[in-house]
Amino acid sequence: MLAIVSLCARIAVIRPRFAVGYLIVAIVAILAILAPLIAPYSPTEADSTNFLQSPGGSHLFGTDNVGMDIFSRAIYAPRIDLTIAILGTVLSALLGGSIGALVGYYSSGRGIRVWVSFAVMRAADVLQAFPVFVFAIALVASLGQSIQTVVLAIAFVNAPIYLRLMRSQVLSLRSMRYVEASTVNGLSDFQTITRHVIPNAMAPVLAQLSINVGWGILLTAALSFIGAGVRAPTPEWGSMIAMGFQNVVTGQWWPSMFPGAMLAITVFGFSLVGASIEVLADPAKRRQLLNDARQRPAGRAAAASKRQSLEQV
Amino acid sequence: MSDLFTRVKLGPSRRQFLQTVAAAGGAAMLPASPGTGEAFAQGAGDTLVIAAPATPQGLDIEFDVSIGSIDSLGALYEYMLAYEKVEDPNAPGVLREDTSVHADKPNNMALKGRLAEAWDVSPDGRSATFKLREGVKSNWGNLFTSKDVKWTWDRKFNLKGQGLFQTAVLGLNSPDQIKVEGDYALSFNLDKPNPLLLKQQCNLANPIYDATKCAAVGGSADPWAVNFLKNDSAGFGPYKLAQLVRGQQAVFEARDDYWDTKPAMKRVIMREVPQSASRFSLLQGGAVDIAQFLQPRELEALKSQKTVAVDAVNSSYMIWLELNAKIAPFDNVDVRRAVNMAIPHDEIIRTIYYGYADPQTAPMPYIYPMADKSFFSFNYDLAKAKALLEKAGAGKGLNTTLSYNAGDPTQEPIALLIQTSLRQIGIELTLEKLPAGVFYENVTKRAKPMIFYLDSPWTPDPGYSTYLYFNSKSYVNYSNYVNTDVDALITEGLGTLDNAIRLEKYKKVQKTLMEDAPWGFIAYPKYTLARKANLKGFTYYTSNNLRFQDFSRR
Repeated sequence: MLAIVSLCARIAVIRPRFAVGYLIVAIVAILAILAPLIAPYSPTEADSTNFLQSPGGSHLFGTDNVGMDIFSRAIYAPRIDLTIAILGTVLSALLGGSIGALVGYYSSGRGIRVWVSFAVMRAADVLQAFPVFVFAIALVASLGQSIQTVVLAIAFVNAPIYLRLMRSQVLSLRSMRYVEASTVNGLSDFQTITRHVIPNAMAPVLAQLSINVGWGILLTAALSFIGAGVRAPTPEWGSMIAMGFQNVVTGQWWPSMFPGAMLAITVFGFSLVGASIEVLADPAKRRQLLNDARQRPAGRAAAASKRQSLEQV
Repeated sequence: MSDLFTRVKLGPSRRQFLQTVAAAGGAAMLPASPGTGEAFAQGAGDTLVIAAPATPQGLDIEFDVSIGSIDSLGALYEYMLAYEKVEDPNAPGVLREDTSVHADKPNNMALKGRLAEAWDVSPDGRSATFKLREGVKSNWGNLFTSKDVKWTWDRKFNLKGQGLFQTAVLGLNSPDQIKVEGDYALSFNLDKPNPLLLKQQCNLANPIYDATKCAAVGGSADPWAVNFLKNDSAGFGPYKLAQLVRGQQAVFEARDDYWDTKPAMKRVIMREVPQSASRFSLLQGGAVDIAQFLQPRELEALKSQKTVAVDAVNSSYMIWLELNAKIAPFDNVDVRRAVNMAIPHDEIIRTIYYGYADPQTAPMPYIYPMADKSFFSFNYDLAKAKALLEKAGAGKGLNTTLSYNAGDPTQEPIALLIQTSLRQIGIELTLEKLPAGVFYENVTKRAKPMIFYLDSPWTPDPGYSTYLYFNSKSYVNYSNYVNTDVDALITEGLGTLDNAIRLEKYKKVQKTLMEDAPWGFIAYPKYTLARKANLKGFTYYTSNNLRFQDFSRR
């Protein structure tokens, strides 16, 4: 256990951006969980006696134009943003991944399955041809404004990504000996796919998941910014920015700046985590990283000794 | 219309404007440089540049009453009559229509002739004869005659647009009730007396068209020139349209052959700037002369600037909640009263409007004759509100939805204050933000239990206002309010010219409406104008629109 912690610490030293990413995500997650304990005010109660108070004093981040405490709302917001983004992303991975696995597995050979695979891929092309944001707005407009709809919108716009990712993985895996062996041993296609193909195709999907959670948060905020996401006064970064950005021109920057900064930092954190997973999921990159991490103390000692000898000279 | 794009040399080009916008944006970031962009508007002293939320979508009042359209209308068209102007008692330097009752004047009103030089109402109030002005030409050079007036009203009967309301409210059942009595004489003949007969001649919705031009361009395929008037004008007003590029700009040019005083502003450029923050920056940077419909917070910020002036006048605007009487829980009058008791008027006016509004205390604009605030009994009282809810059988609380317009930045914060307040009496509101188009569709469908509405009745008359919003047969009665006694009183009030009788009837109407609480009464927002300090002449009209001919520079 100690060795693992030590290895992680060394990875953090040689790849500090990964550590920053995990730290940001951890802080945001902790804020989301502990928000009811940390928030000094209700995130949804207006207080007209304290509207547009500047940051400081009893309101750390100030108040918005109806007197709601921005700090309380900003730390409550990840509860909604993270939940929507994670649910939407997982749903898209399940949907796109499972279809992609089937399409990849049956994309060669003959018969109706090939045609179905072809049709599915072309449908994915059509879906991806739409600008993501426009597609999400259309979904929300047709299904109605609610958290569930935003989750569905994120799932739908991201599903083709997982479909393609999983399909390309499965295409290369399906000719592997162990897959053939499982078929020869009498396993059904379903059993082969679920026991041997999907588990071995998951690495890039996992890396994509973290990146897409960041995108999901951004999409949620963007939809809320234009009024198509979550409903006021639910604390959500996008809707907070939308409510506050008009104030910037008259000098009240805080109602939109703080949620905007938190949104940017969180998305940045998730993209760093995604980058780290990409490295850790790739055997060659992972080996390189671990080698670097193991050599790091020796390298540092050598550098210190060299510096000392130079000082003596 | 296509020749409109080439037939005049326009003012500043789009590129110049964008450069100025960029400069103004920079100026907004630098408080010490208020003069940036000044050259744009100052360079042309007789050019008025307006930053508007929208350019006109259409120029035909029959089908379009959007903000840009109504601002264009008063410049392009002339009217039969107008109210005299008086100094606004609360806003120095601002004029407004004198809409009050004048017992010492003919017909008890302070009217002046425009296209009609003289007029006479019969003693029984059932007919009015107008003597029309001679020598007036349209922007197409055609002489004004009684046929133009007749054609204008015939058009309302035939197109069945908003003009049908104009005919109905006057009690006109047939085009034959408007008779040409000669080239320069015309009469309106009603079945019953109607106190609105003269007032409606001033209404912005009743411009007089150049029938000769309209007939020529429309031909037999479009006898009422619908296609032409949507994109161009044929009127007797002080300006003509030089360019209309929807979503970008509309340009108006003063007419040299206008019959009355020539406008000081020879060219008016109305630029579409949808965001109020951008309009604010443009005015602050000196790139425009007028920034329309700024947020109250922005108006406050402009007050400290020497180069900018802010006018705020009591207006005919009202903002209220339509409490749908046919949808639970608002089918119960006590729930409607409870909501009214819990609307935090003072908080809304202080926090959202920064004082640029007054509490709504009557079911019609408080500036209109016979408006009576003495029946208003909904002072903020949560204990009474809770008691009313209990009386309604909803003591344990209830849930409902409040819908609001995403296009109006004041509605969301008002909704949040109301939500917080109603929560304290056990009403949990779900807030529903609707895009502007969807919002108005929902208002007219009357399918929401509780929805915001901002509007103003243009004719300063209690009968007109109450008929519009509370008559059970009115299209605009969006709260589904039905009270046969109120219907009868409104109709009776519209059937007599005796102001004492009218006052008595409309007092009863207002008292009943306050008791029945079909609306959640919120506020009377003021009409505000943010302008350059060197601009003068702003006049307030009850139709809440600008008339470019009023403005000049100091």
